[in-house]
Amino acid sequence: MAYDFENISVLIIEDNAPMLGLLKSLLNVYGFQTILTARDGEEGYRVFQTHKPDLVITDWMMKPVDGISLSRRIRNDARSPAPFTPIILMTGFSQLRRVMQARDAGVTEFIVKPFNARDLYRRISQIIEKPRQFVRSEDFFGPDRRRKTTENYNGPQRRDEDSRSLIDKDVYYVDDIELSDPPQA
Amino acid sequence: MPHFNRTPKRRAEFIKPPNVLKDKAGYGGLSESILQKAQKLLEDNVQDFQPLGMLYLESLARSIENAKDWKDARDTEGTLTQMLYPAMQLKANGGMFGYQLVTQIADKLIQFLEVLDEPDIGAIEIIMAFHTAIRAVVSGRIMGDGGKDGKDLAQALDMACRRYFEHHPPVIDFE
Repeated sequence: MAYDFENISVLIIEDNAPMLGLLKSLLNVYGFQTILTARDGEEGYRVFQTHKPDLVITDWMMKPVDGISLSRRIRNDARSPAPFTPIILMTGFSQLRRVMQARDAGVTEFIVKPFNARDLYRRISQIIEKPRQFVRSEDFFGPDRRRKTTENYNGPQRRDEDSRSLIDKDVYYVDDIELSDPPQA
Repeated sequence: MPHFNRTPKRRAEFIKPPNVLKDKAGYGGLSESILQKAQKLLEDNVQDFQPLGMLYLESLARSIENAKDWKDARDTEGTLTQMLYPAMQLKANGGMFGYQLVTQIADKLIQFLEVLDEPDIGAIEIIMAFHTAIRAVVSGRIMGDGGKDGKDLAQALDMACRRYFEHHPPVIDFE
């Protein structure tokens, strides 16, 4: 038994044509058949609204609309047809503050370019096997920004619901990313 | 869980959306042979990076030129972002197309730009050195990590950044 990606539609948004072609070929090898493409966040959002893909893979730095703005629109725009759609953000940035910025825009997974075939597969597999719950608060809507479970957390809770509904306490962590900045306390 | 004398900071609703991908993909992951085939596709990629690399280098050169007028424009963030964009593209795409040394050098340039307070003349000179180094690698079609020469080049640029910051300690804004 193996994953069957044949019925999963993916939207790739990338302004660099050779990179777009490479990614498409890579996803074909994984077994994806329905691969939609766009060259920037504006066009990407139009395609997203029309085709409602199951997965979005987007570059960060694009003009005129970048991947971060696109993620915010997918999550928060009243006309977004599927605000829970998983989003993988590709970028050359690896600094912690950039990861945080992406996370705050509602991105599901973050992958640093250049990456290898296994890196991208790992992000897709993470989304399939360990989907994150979503959080809606006054100032945020998106995947839960905390992920690692630890039973030893004794600090104060940031949300009222944490103390009522969660047994294990979570702290956010970033996996598989080489960070240039040390995590801030 | 007690909050001492503090009230919880905010209320939040937790939602567990349906796992559409799992429903469609099923179980079992991808086989090792598929992952190896995918990796081989990346490694055997024959796309020529040089024209693309040159395009980003031209864009970086224009941004450096604009940065020289930074004091008139008084837009530090915008000036740095203009240089960051092509640097990011060089870092991200170099390694994807076999130019790992371009990725290494551009990564150092990004780290430099990310902590720079302002693009003063000393900083501009260093950014120009990065541009010259990447240009030499791309125009010479030096693929891979460039061996010992590549390491020396990256190290020299790293040292230049360190020397710059020795003379430009970070500005701490308490406001």
